[in-house]
Order: sequence, then structure tokens, then C-alpha cells
Amino acid sequence: MSKAGRFDPVLLLAVPAVLYLALVYGIPLLVLLGRSMLAGGAPSLAPFIGFFSDGFSWIVIGNTIRIAVLVTLLCLVIGYPTALALARAKGLAQALILVAIILPLSVGVVVKAFAWQIVLRRDGVVSQIMTGIGLWDEPQRLLFTEAGLVIGAANVFVPFMILPIYSVLKLIDPRLGEAAATLGASPVYRFFKVALPLSLPGIVTGIAFVFSMAASMYVIPNLLIGDRFQTLATMTGRSFLFMRNEQLGSTTAVVLLVLTVAVVVASAALSKRLGGAS
Amino acid sequence: MKSGFLSVSGAAKTFGAATVLDGVDLSMGRGEFISLLGPSGCGKTTLLRIVAGLMTPDQGKVALDGEDITRRPPHRRDVSVVFQNYALFPHLSVAENVAFGLKARGAAKDAIAPAVTKYLGLVQMSAFAGRSIKALSGGQQQRVAVARALAVGPKLLLLDEPFSALDRKLREAMQIDLKRILREVGTTAIFVTHDQDEALTMSDRIAVMHRGRIEQLGTPAEIYHSPATPFALGFVGLSTQLPGKVVRAADGMVEIETAAGPIRARANFIPGSAVLVGVRPERIAIGEAKANRIEAALADAAFQGARVQLHFAAPAGGQILAEAPILPAQAGPGTRLDLSWDVEDTLVYPAPDLAA
Ligand SMILES: Nc1ncnc2c1ncn2[C@@H]1O[C@H](COP(=O)(O)OP(=O)(O)OP(=O)(O)O)[C@@H](O)[C@H]1O
Ligand SMILES: [Mg+2]
Repeated sequence: MSKAGRFDPVLLLAVPAVLYLALVYGIPLLVLLGRSMLAGGAPSLAPFIGFFSDGFSWIVIGNTIRIAVLVTLLCLVIGYPTALALARAKGLAQALILVAIILPLSVGVVVKAFAWQIVLRRDGVVSQIMTGIGLWDEPQRLLFTEAGLVIGAANVFVPFMILPIYSVLKLIDPRLGEAAATLGASPVYRFFKVALPLSLPGIVTGIAFVFSMAASMYVIPNLLIGDRFQTLATMTGRSFLFMRNEQLGSTTAVVLLVLTVAVVVASAALSKRLGGAS
Repeated sequence: MKSGFLSVSGAAKTFGAATVLDGVDLSMGRGEFISLLGPSGCGKTTLLRIVAGLMTPDQGKVALDGEDITRRPPHRRDVSVVFQNYALFPHLSVAENVAFGLKARGAAKDAIAPAVTKYLGLVQMSAFAGRSIKALSGGQQQRVAVARALAVGPKLLLLDEPFSALDRKLREAMQIDLKRILREVGTTAIFVTHDQDEALTMSDRIAVMHRGRIEQLGTPAEIYHSPATPFALGFVGLSTQLPGKVVRAADGMVEIETAAGPIRARANFIPGSAVLVGVRPERIAIGEAKANRIEAALADAAFQGARVQLHFAAPAGGQILAEAPILPAQAGPGTRLDLSWDVEDTLVYPAPDLAA
């Protein structure tokens, strides 16, 4: 809560990180933006105007946001209870859960997506279970559907939801829950009025992580849904790699960047406001 | 008499190899105020947690208002707690903390605000209602914690050293206020404290705890004037203590041989028993000729305002301590003084087992 005006020398510790980011992200991004806007010679917004006036672009933006939101929600629904359990667990149980969450990170995305291809096939495990318990009348294919993409992507990103929430939950004084209990609060009331509000900063961080990764994923949609379905990230990749349309690629990349930065900044601001009370 | 509103029987708790509660029995009447007094680590907080339902005893029972609540969860006990570390909700304001319990119990909206105002006023924190908890000092947090626990109007209030962070003046004011509120509302309370003056002034009864047991449960006067064990004698108030050996016993009287001289007391021991003699300092007269008389060399005098505390050189395993309004004339370090007290004021205990 230091007032503006006095410079805190500890901030200098961030200089290497800032330089690094400028080098590997900042400069290429500027180059991208330049390519997109300077394509006609003089700087112009024409590429953006062109992009936004094309109806297909809006479908792509819609796809990107919808998939990212659904993946984020699924990660939150799966990740929050896991984080709660992890924070409550002790000793060996905690170590095992932690390993189960972190170890899959060392398995490449391609391998995971390949595994999901098998699971989501018409004769895959999911289909067999669903028909087996009678929820589906006949076997269905989840592979190459949006649902399959959301499920597969959530699986890859869920650790990035669990870990920030867990690290916040772990720091909450267990006496607070006890105090609430002795004041007459039921377990459900305690959860919604004590644990949940105090863990909001972790939730917001997890949302920022997962949303930005899900909005910009490229390999997973390629493997799980294919060309028919385009997001800003897959379109960027196709533009550069297959269509050799650098201008379109730069434009979609910048739009995606603005989208994710907006979400991350909004969640950081939210986290700061909520964090101010925790 | 009015016992049995809260009754703890045979409560035992072990953590690993450590026995933290070793069969605690406690019975208190409605509206009664009991202090738990005992050294750090003797199990006070553990006992409170068991009564509050935050911990289940390995053995024993807890009953409140005629119902067995041993396994009832804390939110259905109507027992509120002022925690040793306050445990205020950091994401809520001072007023919201105090309102928490009422809201959780679904109290009517228009009943909550007046209660918050009332209890914040009681702890002299009205001016801080809108503040964040993080912007409070330790003592202010303590007072909010007390208001929060009182606001729900619990059947039983447990306070774990609630005033330890307050300065003396504020603490005394809070003691009086708390007693007044509890009396008005008729709340039963258990009050943990390290401060024996606090326990002596506030309590209807005091439970002296030692190593997971209640060694003595009695009124402050009983605890002070007739401590049941050497531990109670030593822990509550000051005392002269002399180890000795019973040499004669007859008709409820014993004569004890000590390194400071022979002492007579009303007690029943067989000759040859090793005992500990205790005397409260205000019972000891200087330069008079009461029944039990010893001579001791002054070692130190501690000025305490209204009184002077006199420490004397004592034989091994003992201590000699007296009080006087003023330092006796011409007394200085090494001066030998006559100390005497009545037979009735002589306490005798079996010699404490040093190994225990
Ligand atoms: N969860 C626990 N696990 C292991 N040991 C514990 C646990 N809780 C308490 N103890 C031990 O039990 C003993 C009694 O603890 P307790 O907190 O009841 O003491 P206390 O009388 O309240 O002490 P203080 O006056 O210092 O607060 C201590 O030795 C403590 O280390
Ligand atoms: Mg304690």
C-alpha cells in the first residue's frame, strides 16, 4: 500500500524478466502488428477493417471465445474441488494428488491429444460407457466435435486451474472455518461465505491462465476437431503455414492477443480488487 | 447446586504418544463463569475445542443443557468461541464480522444492524465498524472477536485468553463489561487465562489445570486459601514452601521437622511421611510470636506500591516469602527476621513426586 512517488528498488528485480519478454514477445509482436498494418506500404487499418467486415471472422472469433470459455468453466468445475481436496489432504495423500496433477504436464500435448482421440472415438471408452449405462441409444463419436475438443483441452489445462487455487486455499487459516462453524454456519454456508471468497484470487489467476491458453491453443484443435472448425489461433497458423497470407495471419494474431490480454488484465484487476479484501 | 448445565465427563485426548487431556471432569451451572487457569501446554485450548465440537474426545462425554453433544457438529451446538488468535474473517469489515453469526443463523435483517451496533459499542469499537480487519491492532482485533462471539447470544461462550493483548486499563474495563453483559444475558462462560489476577477477580469458580487434568475446581477464595495440591499452591498466588518430614502425629495435628525449624499443622499423616508445608505470604507476621516461628535472613525486597514483598534465604527445595506494608526498620540484605504464623494458616501436602 505504499503511496506513489517513492521508488521501491525491489522492483528492479523484475528488469531481467521485462527485458526477456520484450525480446522474445514484444519485438516479434511489434513486427507482426507492423506487417499487418504496413502491408499496403503506408500504415493503415485496412486489414483490420477488412477482417472485421467479413462474417466468417466473427464465426471464428465466436468459436475462439466459446471454446475458451467452455474449457475454462470445465477446468473450474473439475479443478476447484480437486484443489479443495488437495489443500485438505495431508502427508502421503497430498503428495500423491500433487504428483497426479503435475506429472501429466510432462506428457506432451500431442501424446495426450492422441490418447483422447482413442477415448473419444465412436468405439472409444466414453461411447461404450454411455451406451453401456443406457444414456446413449447407440455409440456416438465425440472426436471431431466441439464437446470432444472442450473435454480434451480441459484435460490438458486443468493443472493450471488447480495449482493457483490450491496455493491460495492452503494459506487460508483453518481457524476461520472453525470460527464460522462455532458461530452457527453450516458447512455449505461456510464454503460460500468463507472459503470461496478467500480463494477468489486463486480462481481469477486460474481463469486467466486457462482462458489464455485455451484461446490460443493450436495443436489440440488440429488433433481433436480438424480443419472444419477454425479459431483465431488455428487461423493464424493456417495463414502463415499453408496459405502464406502473412497479412491475415498477423491480423488474427493481433486480434487474439488483444482478446487474451483483455481477459488477463480484467482478471488481474478483479483479483486486485478482491485481493484487497483478503 | 446449580451444576449440570455443561458437563464434561472423563474427557481424554491423545496426540500420538502425548496425552493432552487425561480424563477431565467439569460440571458447571447455567450462568456460571469458570476460569481455566494453567501453564502453557496443559490442555486448556484442547478442552475448549472439545466442548466447542472442533475436536472429538478419544473418550468421555460432553453434555449441554441436558443433551449429549459429544458428537454433534460445532454449528449445531450454540457454543461460540473467542479464539486465541482471534480468527477474524479478513475479507469482511469489522461490522460484517460481528454480523456473520447472525446472518449464518438466518436472523431477520432488521435485527442484525442493531445487534452489531450494540456489541461493537460494548467493546468500544463503534468507531471502527467500517474498517478492514487488517487495519486493526491486535487488541482491537481481540475486541472484535469478543463482540462477534457475543452477538449470536450463545448458550455457552468459550474465551481463549481473550484479553491477553490489551493494556491493563482496557483489560480491566473489558473484564467488567464482559461480566456485566454475561450477567445481563445469563450466558454461561469458560474463560481461559494465564493471568491469575484476572481469574481471581472475574470467576465464580476457577479450574486449575495441570498436565491434562483439572487439579482443583473451586471458588477463587477456596483456590487461594485452601489450594488442594502443591501445584495449585505454587501456580495461584505466592507462597512460602518448606519441605519437611512428619515426626509426630496425634489428634489431627502433626509436627513437621523442616530445615527452618519445627512446624505444627492440622493434618493427618503418619509419622515419617515426607511433606511440603505451604503458607500464604499475608499470613506471615514479622516480629510477632505466633505458633509457628522461624528465623530467616532477608535476601531481597521488592517494592510493589501498597506492599513490600520480602524474599528470604530458604533451605533447599523451598522458598520463604512474606509481605509487609513497609520495609521493616533497618532491615537490609542479610538481616535476620522473626517470621511467625498460626497453626490454622499452615497448609500441608504430601511431598510432590519430583520425578513426575
Ligand atoms: N493438533 C495437535 N497435534 C499434536 N499435538 C497437539 C495438537 N494440539 C495440541 N497439541 C499439544 O497438546 C498440548 C496442549 O495443547 P493446548 O493447545 O491445549 O495447550 P494450552 O493449555 O492451550 O496452552 P497455551 O496456554 O500455550 O495456549 C500441547 O503440548 C500441544 O503441543
Ligand atoms: Mg491455548
